Amino acid sequence: MTAAAINLSVPRRRRRVVSRKVLPYLMVMPAVIYLLSITLYPGIYALYRSFYTGKFKLEWAGLDNYRELFVDTQFWNSILNTLLLGSITLLAEFVIAMTLAALVYRDPWVKGFRILFLLPMLFMPSAVAFIWKLMFNDGRIISDLLKRVGLIDYNIDWMFTAPMARFVVIFTDVWQWTPFLFIIFVAALQGQDKEVEEAARLDGASWWSTFINISLPMMRPIIAIALILRGIDILNMFTPIQIITQGAPGGATETVGFFIQRLAFDKVDHGYASAVSVLVLIVTVILAQVLVRRYFRSGTES
Amino acid sequence: MKSKRSPVGFVILLASAVVCVWPIWHFATIALRERVEIIAPDPIYWPDFTIQPWQKIWDEWPMVQYFTNSMAAVAGSVFICLLLGIPAAYSLARYRYKGRDDIGHYILSTKMMAPAVVAIPLFVLFAQFRMLDTIWALMMVYAALNLSIVVWIIRSYMIDIPHEIEDAARTDGASDLRILWEIIIPMCLPGIITAAVIAAVFSMNEYFLTLIIGRKEAFTMSIALGNFKGGSDGIIYNAIALVGFMAFFPILLLVILIQNHLSRGLTMGAVKG
Repeated sequence: MTAAAINLSVPRRRRRVVSRKVLPYLMVMPAVIYLLSITLYPGIYALYRSFYTGKFKLEWAGLDNYRELFVDTQFWNSILNTLLLGSITLLAEFVIAMTLAALVYRDPWVKGFRILFLLPMLFMPSAVAFIWKLMFNDGRIISDLLKRVGLIDYNIDWMFTAPMARFVVIFTDVWQWTPFLFIIFVAALQGQDKEVEEAARLDGASWWSTFINISLPMMRPIIAIALILRGIDILNMFTPIQIITQGAPGGATETVGFFIQRLAFDKVDHGYASAVSVLVLIVTVILAQVLVRRYFRSGTES
Repeated sequence: MKSKRSPVGFVILLASAVVCVWPIWHFATIALRERVEIIAPDPIYWPDFTIQPWQKIWDEWPMVQYFTNSMAAVAGSVFICLLLGIPAAYSLARYRYKGRDDIGHYILSTKMMAPAVVAIPLFVLFAQFRMLDTIWALMMVYAALNLSIVVWIIRSYMIDIPHEIEDAARTDGASDLRILWEIIIPMCLPGIITAAVIAAVFSMNEYFLTLIIGRKEAFTMSIALGNFKGGSDGIIYNAIALVGFMAFFPILLLVILIQNHLSRGLTMGAVKG
């Protein structure tokens, strides 16, 4: 009787131990496999395709696509534009969001302001792009407003010069996405220990020096995460460019994303576009490894 | 602490509020005016408000289809995200095993994938399976784009649940899956809802990959905007504004629902606010 019970219970317990070891993998694997299928597969396909040319009949091209790419001024132009537009946009969004957050987080109306400032983010980016296309170009509303306050006396063609077209694209992104950083910064500031700040103020520190020396350093990890998340999206900026400028004038607003899209779906040169993709992919994988591991903690403790 | 408002700061806040809200207001008036009043030689700020043009817009374009396409693709993608994401989040939040942190970081790093990189392979893949221009393809792509943030948001909420409750249930002989279903999921429901809303907003707004998948049948509101062009009329802005607001109001409702969790969701748990 007892011997039989022991015989039965031993394999059962072992099975439970085994399943407890396998279970966490079983639970996480479906998500991982799903994500691998949309990151690993496209990466491999792009790599494979970048060695071929041709639209329908593929021809082996070796490294030709890459060789061509390195002397393609349009490609380098799109890289420069991505970095230029990206860094100005991110900087502008950061400065505005931080200023507004610092002004608002102790304000009695903070909840109201938070909702108002949130609104641009809730519109579809394509709709926002059309709003500003109308405001700057087609509806001439910005020109009209500037005329009314007497800053200019003729309508501006915003797509005529590179700096102005870039300004329109940057402005559109800043208008829509500064709220993203703002919401995060307000929450971070509100979550801070008020007593530290108060103590500093009692010691005679000014509002400004309290903010710079105490609040900002305490927020550093959150600022880093917020800027990384926004930075990724900005580097992939596509919608306002496709809708407002189409890369004009003369490629001054063409980013890498738009360049790949134009090669792949307007010129239908998948091989060449894939070569660009592979280079972008290598950079993103390196960036992702460095940034994710450094700034996002993955332990079981919060 | 009641700090006094600085007048300069308050003026800056009010001015910023105007910059945020006035364009939206103006866009709303665009939806409510005749085509001839949209692109007038001198901009019209106070039009003759009318919803007359809506009839024509509604007749000329499959507006209902745009709306239902968006909703179906968004709902399906959120469902996939939760189905795959909740167990994954639980696994990352509660178990200790080899490779766990690497898996967690891998999941998060897919957020950094540039859509432009996956565009061609996905286009070819969906073409092979005859899935171009289908809502199914959109669902799968949206789910893939948002799965990483869904996992990380829910994981952050699960970590905050005290272990004692699970330990008690486990002593009573409850299986791990039952604990997940009956204890963990109800307790981190705010986190799950937050993750679902944020995934829904991002899916609703997706433009680039939708443009590559959608041809005609699978047009969502996001890419349908580019459709509103008509011969000599040029871009038909009142239709664009109308669709813009059709997408805006459901999102506004959802986001107001989770507004106190928004910052935590957007940073995937880094800000507890």
